[in-house]
Amino acid sequence: MSMTATRMLARDWRGGELGVLVLALVLAVGVVSGISAFTTRLQSALVQESHRFLAADYVVSSGRALPQEWLPEAEARGLQQALALLFPSMVYAGEDAMSLASIKAVSEHYPLRGELTYSTEPFGEILPARAGPGRGEVWLDSRLFPLLQVAVGDRITIGEADFVVAAAARTEPDQGSSFWSFGPRVLMHYDDIPATGVVQPGSRVEYRQLYAGSQPALESFGRWLQPQLQDGQSAVNVDEGQPGIGSALARAESFLLLAGSLAVVLAGVAVALAARRFSERHHDYVAIIKSLGATSKTINRLYGSSLLLLGSVATVLGCVLGWALQALFFQLFAEQLPVQPGPSGMRPYAIGATTALTCLLCFAWPPLRRLAQASPLRVLRRDLPLENRRAIGDYVLGLLAVTVLMWWYSQDWKLTLAVLAGLAVAAGLGFCLALVLLRGGRLVGMSAGSIWRLALSGLQRRGAANALQVVIFAMAIMMLLILLLVRTSLIDEWQAQLPADAPNHFMVNIGPEDVTAIEELLRAEAIPSEPFYPMIRGRIMSVNGQELPATEKVQEDRRQRETNFTWSDTLPADNQLVAGQWWAPGTDQALVSLEQGFAERLQIEVGDTVGFLVGSQPLEAQVASIRKLQWQSMRPNFFLILPPRLLASYPATFMTSFHLAADDKEFLNRFIRDFPTVTVIEMDIVLQQIRTIVNQVSAAINLVLVVILAAGALVLVAGVQASVDARMHESAILRALGAPRRLILGGLLIEFATLGLFAGLLATVAAELSVYMLQSKVMEMNYAPTPWIWPLGVLSGTVIIGALGVFSCRKVVSTSPLTVLREL
Amino acid sequence: MINCENLQKRVPMAGNLLEILKGITLEIKSGESVAIIGASGSGKSTLLGLLAGLDEATAGTVHINGTDLGALDEDGRARFRGRYIGFVFQSFQLLPALTALENVMLPLELQGHSKVKEQAEHYLRRVELGARMSHYPLQLSGGEQQRVALARAFASKPAILFADEPTGNLDTRTGEHIIDLLFELNREEGTTLVLVTHDQVLADRCQRRLRLDSGALVQE
Repeated sequence: MSMTATRMLARDWRGGELGVLVLALVLAVGVVSGISAFTTRLQSALVQESHRFLAADYVVSSGRALPQEWLPEAEARGLQQALALLFPSMVYAGEDAMSLASIKAVSEHYPLRGELTYSTEPFGEILPARAGPGRGEVWLDSRLFPLLQVAVGDRITIGEADFVVAAAARTEPDQGSSFWSFGPRVLMHYDDIPATGVVQPGSRVEYRQLYAGSQPALESFGRWLQPQLQDGQSAVNVDEGQPGIGSALARAESFLLLAGSLAVVLAGVAVALAARRFSERHHDYVAIIKSLGATSKTINRLYGSSLLLLGSVATVLGCVLGWALQALFFQLFAEQLPVQPGPSGMRPYAIGATTALTCLLCFAWPPLRRLAQASPLRVLRRDLPLENRRAIGDYVLGLLAVTVLMWWYSQDWKLTLAVLAGLAVAAGLGFCLALVLLRGGRLVGMSAGSIWRLALSGLQRRGAANALQVVIFAMAIMMLLILLLVRTSLIDEWQAQLPADAPNHFMVNIGPEDVTAIEELLRAEAIPSEPFYPMIRGRIMSVNGQELPATEKVQEDRRQRETNFTWSDTLPADNQLVAGQWWAPGTDQALVSLEQGFAERLQIEVGDTVGFLVGSQPLEAQVASIRKLQWQSMRPNFFLILPPRLLASYPATFMTSFHLAADDKEFLNRFIRDFPTVTVIEMDIVLQQIRTIVNQVSAAINLVLVVILAAGALVLVAGVQASVDARMHESAILRALGAPRRLILGGLLIEFATLGLFAGLLATVAAELSVYMLQSKVMEMNYAPTPWIWPLGVLSGTVIIGALGVFSCRKVVSTSPLTVLREL
Repeated sequence: MINCENLQKRVPMAGNLLEILKGITLEIKSGESVAIIGASGSGKSTLLGLLAGLDEATAGTVHINGTDLGALDEDGRARFRGRYIGFVFQSFQLLPALTALENVMLPLELQGHSKVKEQAEHYLRRVELGARMSHYPLQLSGGEQQRVALARAFASKPAILFADEPTGNLDTRTGEHIIDLLFELNREEGTTLVLVTHDQVLADRCQRRLRLDSGALVQE
């Protein structure tokens, strides 16, 4: 029998019967596995990206020396290790130059993750380093060079030891928040610490053990270590803060998952339509085989094995397509990604294969299974009705399959439900509306000319079938519109977030006496800057009189923490109040405004009283408001803002951010010479990286859109084909009766264009609704109605479906009516 | 060979039951050739469908070689058809996806015969299509297609051959040639032949004619 199955498939393939079915399957598998592989690899890159900020996968830190026994334990589990020690110390050069510096001593393998950079001169070209300073060498922060009046090659002293200045230290992966509070950085070798003699019991130091390795090894080590941690020792395995690149990519990821889910639905519909048509056209085959003695079991085996064969080929092709798609994505990306994406593993391809199998079982098999019930009497009487009643069970099965696939694929119920809700609206309302509209069309058409009468009576005669078709067309157009809308607003939002002149440098630690001079300097150099914000370092100690836990354990969100405050009488420009009220300017009440996430972590609400420690002075304030910030704005942002009069007596430094063009970097050298105590943080490289990645993600999204467009087009083609046979038959009879070409083609055009018009209208309504739900509930973006999709949706529906319909039926006027009638 | 008693067929039509066959009783002996004739709509094809087990009767029985077709389900009847019955149709009913040879091999494969290819080739040569075995139905003329159908029908050595207007789609000359072949093969294989036709000349070549009139049998 398999000979017959392969023969039958080969013949059907040549006859173009299977094209849509196979293409739909290949596209479904390709898009699903490609996007899934892409997001898996991107995820692994993001995890690495966040580990980069730790310089490791897992870090244990403490103010006292950490047990050495932990190192062999980690070694036994195959983990890489590095050590770091941080402490403040005075650094001396020459006769009288000195400065307080934040010293970091690191072992050979530091950093285990991320990149250490240096330059051969202060603010020079940034170069990646293979390892930190060697024995007897130090790297200095660029601004220490003018402060100490040294150049590369000179000597400096730390404690009792002398060191050669080997390079300018530029960036460390785990710079983190430490450089807000300490002086400029000095990097040295870990083994040189004893020689300096500065680290004594009771010194203010931070010991770190850094570990990196495979996930299972890390987990096993973490499980072993966690119970042994004592007070003051903390283990960190993921960076708490979301890096800037992360959130852009995370949203791109949910867009891609949405696209993939839609591709699954579209492909499912295309497969169902193609299989149904395939089944209808095979009724006569089956009747003949049955008259020759084939049982229903034989028929099922024949079509089952055909389907399996088809599915296998399509799955293999689809996986190849998927692999190629993700390879193409990363081709676009590879150079811009800060870390190498990991392997995707087999899961994406397993998802692809399961999608194919589910599509075949739930969409293709039901109509084919009914072939076995075809009456053999059709060999004598071709007018017997086809056994193609779609049982309600088929719809339920299809819906269930789509839901499970979408959920399994996106792992996101909200996303799945938003898309399903859109589909339900398109399907339910659409079917009723289409029936009403088509009836209305008939009434208008009665008085029109004969082309119109022909077309509209055709629409009316196949009312229910046409309504179903309108719904299918509408669903396909709706999904394409959704993707187009979400993509456009996503890319717009990204670009709005990072305008070309966004601040790209921060300036912190500005003494109050320097503020006016720096303001004037920036103005004179025509460098755009943000306002200067005062900054006070403090520690949040209690809420409503209750002391917060002091443990440094990261898992605990609600604990004492060190943070930066500012004072202001006005709400900063891109902050948004989400609760409470802003205070009246000049108030002398003890009030505070908190950032939303900060308030949530500490479980603080408006009206609560919060206790701080600023330096050694206690301070209490009542929470007046809670704000939402734009963390990606690159403007100074603060967790806590207090009224100016409340903080007036506390010592403050100032900070600002400004935009410096790449050509003007030399300004920094002059600036540091004049203001050696100010810290400048260069964000331009990171920002450039974010911008490039956003551009690449946009390119990837556009690529996906093209693939989904193809899937949508396939549904339209399958939908049109499904109704072509009946229309061809009627048109052939009309033609045999002498109807001119123009009448037939005109009638067909009007008929299909009308279907397309209704479908476009429905699709636009449903798309707006889904996009509203997706943007406001799933992707947390701002929804704005988009008037331009109305003409686009309606027009494209009318034109594309009208054209496809006429194109598919063109044979009816180009070949003899007899041939058409014989073939059908 | 074929015994049918009080065979009735009624179908629902516009809320009423339309009586297509009104209690047919007949007997066809082994090796006999019988023509069923009658006007359009007299129920000829319906009777053929019931006798061949392609359809189920509303009432009455059909026995072939002692087997009650009414007692079999559709799969049982399919197996029975495969073993005992051959068909020749007005519209040939060849599978367009298969070559002439494969079309003839198909029923043999379905019944698990051995030497399927040799047997199929033998019958194709017998209907003078030895040179066209690898052609697809669409590459063959109507007469050639009907000859492939004859080869297919006889290849599985059926006890009974049912033919439904076998010359209906052919011109007179080609039709005559097909009929000659049909009767020759019928004689050689000793098959029982039941054919439905409008054609009086064709009907006259059969040993017996049964005339149907509005669903009732009128003996000739």
